[in-house]
Amino acid sequence: MRNGKDPYVVLGVQRSATEEEVKAAYKELVKKYHPDQYQNNPLQDVATEKMAEVNEAYDEIINNIRNGEYASYQSTSTFFDSAKVRELIQTGNITEADNILSRVDPARRDAEWYFLKGSVAYKRGWFNEAYDNFSKANSINPNNAEYAAALNQLGSQRSGQMNGMPSGYYQNRNQDACNCCCDLMCMDACCECMGGDLIPCC
Amino acid sequence: MFGYIRAYKPYMRMFEYEIYRSVYCGICKDMHRRFGFMTRLTLSYDSAFLALVDLSVRGKKLSVKNERCIAHPWKKTMCAACGSDLSYASSVSVLLTYHKLRDDIADKGFKKKLIAYSLLPFFKKAYKRACVKYKPLSDRISEAMKLQTALEKDKSAGIDAACEPTALMMQAVFGEIGRNQREKALLARFGYCLGRFIYITDALDDLKKDIEQGGYNPLIIYMRSHDIQWDGQGRFPKQIRELCDATVNMSLGQLADCYVALDMQRFRDILDNIVYLGLKYTYNQVKQEKFNKRNKDRKGTTQL
Repeated sequence: MRNGKDPYVVLGVQRSATEEEVKAAYKELVKKYHPDQYQNNPLQDVATEKMAEVNEAYDEIINNIRNGEYASYQSTSTFFDSAKVRELIQTGNITEADNILSRVDPARRDAEWYFLKGSVAYKRGWFNEAYDNFSKANSINPNNAEYAAALNQLGSQRSGQMNGMPSGYYQNRNQDACNCCCDLMCMDACCECMGGDLIPCC
Repeated sequence: MFGYIRAYKPYMRMFEYEIYRSVYCGICKDMHRRFGFMTRLTLSYDSAFLALVDLSVRGKKLSVKNERCIAHPWKKTMCAACGSDLSYASSVSVLLTYHKLRDDIADKGFKKKLIAYSLLPFFKKAYKRACVKYKPLSDRISEAMKLQTALEKDKSAGIDAACEPTALMMQAVFGEIGRNQREKALLARFGYCLGRFIYITDALDDLKKDIEQGGYNPLIIYMRSHDIQWDGQGRFPKQIRELCDATVNMSLGQLADCYVALDMQRFRDILDNIVYLGLKYTYNQVKQEKFNKRNKDRKGTTQL
């Protein structure tokens, strides 16, 4: 893009997003920033600018998808063949990928190196090592969306997040006085909406 | 196997608990039938979990009837009947115990060696019988055991590397259940994460004992390399607790991802209970040193 922004970040979609997902995200943003909503509003300029940015990002991503050029936005390294390593990791050839990575001179290990090293560890199931490497990659290059996503995902699991946990039924709720009052207030509000009154004094 | 995989009973419905228990009883009886009396004494609830996953994924049938149990002869309990196919879980239990005994003989102290020597004859025949059907699995388990021995001799492995043998073992055990490539891969990863969880929980459970007796423990190695001073008295040091929390949480997080992708329907509530509540509860019990291997909560009030 002209101003050097990553179109995937602008639209807020993943690099692997399908055309439908991109379109949905685009529609959301158009609703949010359409300049017609901001007429006679000091924010109008900002909205127009934002709208142009979103349009440009949308065109670019759609083009990428149609031409099959996902790879053009993947970060690379100047010190080693990172596209090759990425391909090896994707196809599951972890040992070979790790070999290439460990041959890189320790002084020349950049963010991309740490990210890929973390990906190798992740595939292997060595999550502690993966987490350390992802955070290193992220601290060297905090602006890369791919590194941040990897770190976020593992980081949320690290603090106890488990996917698919049945909600409600399993939650170990603390029943205390405060919660009880909140519940009563909510009930009162609901009753008042319907015309009744649960707690007459408020 | 290890005894760390259990359901969290307070959140179980009665009928779920009965199915869970009947599967456990069924494996116990199946082991007696096929492998002899002594093998059933080594059974733990881990096998019941393995059996439930096996039954769920493969859609095998489970029929239940009232039977007397050897541990409680005075009352009849629900028990999985002969027709239910629990052979995989019981075979795996025998294989794992056999390799564990062999390992104990090779490199443990005098007392352990004596116990292992006296038990081994009972398992030789059983092991051979289990091997008929599951030879490749047995080979993978013994490979993992060798790796474990090498790591214990080397005494320098990081946490990830130290978890590897147990993780590989469980990877082999669970991977075997899958019916196609996709399921096999998911279950293998599921097993790997579960193995990591088991190993790190076990390491924390044994930490005090190992510090006292100078045994191998990856957490001691970690303490040495990070200059953590602790003499084995009182609570676990903060860094150790944080390290174990992070490792356990990441392993369970990844395990949950695989579990969701597997989308097992049968026995879902029981499996959900074990995966989302039981494992974490066990780990927390171990962390607070309240864990009891014999599946009974210690006396006194329990914090829920």
